[in-house]
Amino acid sequence: MRFLATHITRYKYQESVSQCVSEARITPRSLPPGQKVIETRIHIEPEPATLTTRADYFGNQITAFSVFRPHDRLTATAQSVVEVEARDPEGDLRSIPWEQARAVLAKPEDAETLAAYEFIFDSPYVAAAPKLADYAKLSFAPGRPLAEAAHDLSTRIYKEFKYKPKSTSIDMPLMDVFELRRGVCQDFAHIMIGSLRSLRLAARYVSGYLRSGANLQGSEASHAWLSVYIPGHGWLDLDPTNNVIPSSGHVTVAWGRDFGDVTPIKGIALGGGKQTVEVEVTVRPV
Amino acid sequence: MSRTKVAAAKGDPSTNPSARWAYAPVAGSFDEAFLPSGMPRRHWRSLAVSIGRMGLDQLTRRWQAGQQLIQANGITYNVYGDPQGKERPWVLDPIPMVLADNEWAGIERGISQRATLLNALLADLYGPRQLINNHRLPAGLLFANPNFLRSCSGLTPPGGVFLHSYAADLARSKDGRWWVITDRTQAPSGLGYALENRYVGARTLATAFNGSHVRPLAGFLDTQRTALQQLAPNRRDHPRIVLLTPGPSNETYFEHSFLVRHWGFPLVEGADLTVRDNRVFLKTLTGLEPVDLIVRRLDDSYCDPLELRGDSVLGVPGLTQAVRSGHVAMANALGTGLLETSAPMAFLPSLSRHLLGEELRMPSVATWWCGQERERRYVLDHLAELVIKPAFRRAGEIPVFPGNMTVAERASLAARIEDDPEEFIAQEQISLSTAPVRTDEGILPRHVVLRVFACWDGQSYTVLPGGLTRVSLEASSPIVSMQGGGGSKDTWVMSTAAEDASAPHIPLPAPEPPSHTQAASSLPSRQADNLFWLGRYAERVEGGVRLVRALSPSLSGEEDFGQTATLETSIQFLIALGYLPAESKGMTIAQARWQLARLFTGMIYDPSRSYGIGWNLTNLRRVCWPLKERLSSDTWRVLQQLDSEFSRNPPSHPDQRQVAQMNLLDRVIVNLSAFSGLLAENTTRNDGWRFLEIGRRIERTLQMAELLQAAISSAPFDTEPSLETLLQIADSAITYHRRYFTTMRVEYVLELLLADEANPRALGFQVSTLVDHLRRLPGYEWDEEKPLPLALAENLLETVRLAKPEDLAARDADGDMPALDELVARVKTGLYDISNALAERHFSHLTATRLSF
Repeated sequence: MRFLATHITRYKYQESVSQCVSEARITPRSLPPGQKVIETRIHIEPEPATLTTRADYFGNQITAFSVFRPHDRLTATAQSVVEVEARDPEGDLRSIPWEQARAVLAKPEDAETLAAYEFIFDSPYVAAAPKLADYAKLSFAPGRPLAEAAHDLSTRIYKEFKYKPKSTSIDMPLMDVFELRRGVCQDFAHIMIGSLRSLRLAARYVSGYLRSGANLQGSEASHAWLSVYIPGHGWLDLDPTNNVIPSSGHVTVAWGRDFGDVTPIKGIALGGGKQTVEVEVTVRPV
Repeated sequence: MSRTKVAAAKGDPSTNPSARWAYAPVAGSFDEAFLPSGMPRRHWRSLAVSIGRMGLDQLTRRWQAGQQLIQANGITYNVYGDPQGKERPWVLDPIPMVLADNEWAGIERGISQRATLLNALLADLYGPRQLINNHRLPAGLLFANPNFLRSCSGLTPPGGVFLHSYAADLARSKDGRWWVITDRTQAPSGLGYALENRYVGARTLATAFNGSHVRPLAGFLDTQRTALQQLAPNRRDHPRIVLLTPGPSNETYFEHSFLVRHWGFPLVEGADLTVRDNRVFLKTLTGLEPVDLIVRRLDDSYCDPLELRGDSVLGVPGLTQAVRSGHVAMANALGTGLLETSAPMAFLPSLSRHLLGEELRMPSVATWWCGQERERRYVLDHLAELVIKPAFRRAGEIPVFPGNMTVAERASLAARIEDDPEEFIAQEQISLSTAPVRTDEGILPRHVVLRVFACWDGQSYTVLPGGLTRVSLEASSPIVSMQGGGGSKDTWVMSTAAEDASAPHIPLPAPEPPSHTQAASSLPSRQADNLFWLGRYAERVEGGVRLVRALSPSLSGEEDFGQTATLETSIQFLIALGYLPAESKGMTIAQARWQLARLFTGMIYDPSRSYGIGWNLTNLRRVCWPLKERLSSDTWRVLQQLDSEFSRNPPSHPDQRQVAQMNLLDRVIVNLSAFSGLLAENTTRNDGWRFLEIGRRIERTLQMAELLQAAISSAPFDTEPSLETLLQIADSAITYHRRYFTTMRVEYVLELLLADEANPRALGFQVSTLVDHLRRLPGYEWDEEKPLPLALAENLLETVRLAKPEDLAARDADGDMPALDELVARVKTGLYDISNALAERHFSHLTATRLSF
């Protein structure tokens, strides 16, 4: 499927901002299997003094820009045409037992496993915890194939956590969200990543977009899900917010250890006072 | 151990002066100074003799003199969360740590090699990662390390130099060997203290120091400066280098100001810098000046709120990108905090062979990283014998000693290690050596840790021939920490080399006011702001002192003695100036005296009382701190003295209190004059001085306007005592009486205190001086449109000049003086506007906010 993804972020400030430096990760990635970026453009209003693009540590594309004239609103618009192939979820679920995957990760030999190994460790927003390990173990019975167990965990999170916008903030500690049993897509992804890491499995955070009108949660703003590493197979995407295995309806933008690595837009403004932000995402077939 | 043991072992005290030390080393520890036999070690002999001759009393006097010097030089160490105030004087033991030259040569080679090795390790971990890919280092050491800055991966600093400065803490075990216990690779502190210790220490024991061949320290900072200049990217002839500090509340702020005085670099905080077009600039009064190299004393993760820690308010947004673009370099490079951990210690011997082709010269204390299975098993099997520490440095986490734990506690620790093995290391418990330390109970053994320093010199790493020796508080305690209140020692490395021995032993020069290179450069905006407020607060303190001093005699009862303020006048002044409520007018004499006495004591001694003298003095000190490197040491000393005058408690008996207060205020006026004099005489007439003067003039104008109103228009018809008091506060009584004899008339007073632009106390003088200073500010003469502060000040001067004393003195039918009141109101508004316009134009400090997600 070919999509046009439009991602608009609008900031409004109560007082004038004299300068602003910013980093955006709002350009989809090209993935060897499954996703190809045909065309992409970014527009910043007011016109930035500098605008550069580069790849970050995880290979995501960053657009760094700065504005040095007074402004009281800032709009970043990203438009990309992306070709997404459907993946075969059934084939994804046949894999090695999870204990075996853990043993391979504990002694990473090849380059791919070594790269995945980085994602078993705690990161600023997601740390392993005994409670999360206990929670995960209900899905991870001894000898169960990793992909099947992970999919089961994703389904349990979908059922046991309530999707409730504005019920949490990104600064809320992970374990508080876990006790609360509700949150938004970031929280669902973080909880599952933390649970997998608590079993010393590798999991990464994925940010992206959902096809509009698909009747899924999180399609009107930027969405988040996660990937789990299956040795010998690669990364398997799971979306616990919608209880699906992402296929042609999910456009991958960026990945990292947690939300902090792939924040769509971050920035530091001088002045400004109170601010409001509006995000609008549409993904339509073209 | 026993005290008699040493005396018995030494035999005849006359041939062994150390007998007079009555010093007993701790059994089982290596003592730096004495052999187990009680005889001093060879390289300690001459010092042992000098101190032995001196005796404890003399040594104590020398120590006190040294501590006074430390106090006077403002050598302090800030203690986080100390309710007593933020600065604590540095504690220096008079007895130095002495190291023999052959032993030092080993340390020097070992440290230089270690710095080279750690630099090579950083270059690999932030570069090709061959050590990880080839399984020479476990990948978890990198990935689990919270100080691994992923944004900096792939960045190579100029010349491949990640570490410009490096420090290591060394400990000596029982068998006399030195071990590295900690590596400091981030922004090592202590060098400034080590150099100050020499400055004070060499004076404390001047004869012994001059008689020994102690290797000088002075060249180290120059070596470092030269090497830094060479590494500035876009290497120009005069690279602009700044030292980035977290600010005056940092524990080692003293050291930051010490270093910039020697180097002649500006001391800046994050808000003083800005990134434009991937270049770093310093905000100065004359505009933005490019910066080529940043020597940072800020942990790397705090350096850039955009790419590194988002919650940092200390850094510079966009700095990492500027570094990435190659327009600016950092010393140490961003990311070097990665090695501020003991976890890789176990791998250093093999890494040294692999990366340098050499055996590791200086061993590290035995360390096991629990992230490896075999090592973890060993640690869990030997838990009780080891020290367990967090693998990666995090604030507030301390080592634990499982040997002292209950079985249950130990089991719970073991479980935590099993759960999160990468987060823990275990180390062998090392017994620290001891050295003699002067205490009130005599000379006693205390544990020591030696911090040594190395810097990149352009070719390799040079090691400071000395160091910072820190001592424990108690003989029984192996914890050596400046935060915890231990002391320090000067560190003498004895020299036998011909060139060192023949070289004159010039102690390190005292820190001097900033060199001309710094003075010539433009003033950072924040410093202009601080200098402006320094002027204002200094003037407020002086105004408060003059007021209390002029009104205090009214408490004594000799009311109508002519020259002094009456009780009634005092009350009326203080009501008009807002210090007393209006109801105070109807009080009985006894009530009035009591209330006045209380008010004065509060104004002088209570720092929490807004607008009191103590309060203004606290603020004066607050703005002086960030200016420390701009103020001469004499100026700083006077400020310390002012502070100690006010920190004494007032005598409890009211009579004594009054006399003590009068004496205090007299001394303070002299001190303040010395302060102003030093500022006036020792400061070049640059922009900084002008901002100080502008602040002073604005404040003095304001005070005079309020005084004129209080003494004249708010006063009853019979104004003679008021006018006399006013002249006294304004220090103009003598001039008045010489000019107008004894006739006391409002017009004459206004002539002298308002219109006369030649009287340095008059309002007119202040405003015309203010205009003069503003005209000379950078950029003011070139601007096509007149800058707002100047336009406002010229306006104000015009208003003051047009006001005629005879018109102002006129009273209307109700006895009011509308013309004078209106003038005072216009002066106040004018000053307020000028102050705001200055802030807007020069000191703009906007608050940075994070964009929400």
